Amino acid sequence: MKTSKAQNADSITDDSAAAPHGRTTGAGRLLITVYAVFAISATARAGYQIATQFDEAPVAYLLSAFAAVVYIVATLALAKPGAKWALTATVAICVELAGVLVVGLLSLLDSAAFPHATVWSMFGKGYGFVPLLLPIIGLIWLYRHRDAK
Amino acid sequence: MTIDPWFITGAIIGIASTLICVVAAAMKKKPNDVTILSLAAVELFILVYAAGSAIRLLGPESLAGEGWEFWGYMFTAAMLPVAGFYWAMMERTHWSNYVMGAVGVTVMVMLARMAQIWYGTGLPAAALQQGIGL
Repeated sequence: MKTSKAQNADSITDDSAAAPHGRTTGAGRLLITVYAVFAISATARAGYQIATQFDEAPVAYLLSAFAAVVYIVATLALAKPGAKWALTATVAICVELAGVLVVGLLSLLDSAAFPHATVWSMFGKGYGFVPLLLPIIGLIWLYRHRDAK
Repeated sequence: MTIDPWFITGAIIGIASTLICVVAAAMKKKPNDVTILSLAAVELFILVYAAGSAIRLLGPESLAGEGWEFWGYMFTAAMLPVAGFYWAMMERTHWSNYVMGAVGVTVMVMLARMAQIWYGTGLPAAALQQGIGL
């Protein structure tokens, strides 16, 4: 709590600074927050599935684990300043978008192959389509801040 | 999922905190005592819920699901307001209120999962959303 208070005091003095426009500030912090929530929960869920019921659906649970890794990389890359991290974030989010589209389409066309849902099944319907919207919003955000270092 | 007073109380506090933070953010307000205290209320509820759950489990009650999964959710839910507060305070703009607003609703979803683990779901496991475990 001590550090938080110190941060707090620092921030108050910074308040007069111009409104944030960088990739990792302002709305970007909200985007990072949502990615962090997905990264934490995807990791916890995939870990739980693999630890307790891996034999039931290894492919679906490995897919969950892969999704978790993608979310972790995207979260970190979005939070780090610099052009290299922006590129990393773009690649990670493109993989995420491809994942949700491919898995979403496969689960729709061949539901028998995906009896065990993953975060990307049915385009993320079980999560209010947030998994489908998140990479689109993420890419728009990165595009609009492509020059921000 | 059985809806018990614990979940109802937690859901009200979580939703209220999210609404307060989102309204404050929409009004372009920076984090203030009201939004920060709403986050503190969420944290306080989780601590009371954790203590209450421990007392109930030491008594005759038992979990339908896995203990470590239940307490894993409890620990993560307890960390969320702290992490959200820290992340929001690193940059005090009206966006910080949106960040803090994400905490309450997330905690509410986690409370729903904890209630499922406590009482059992009454559904076959395959029908559950399995993927990211919110």
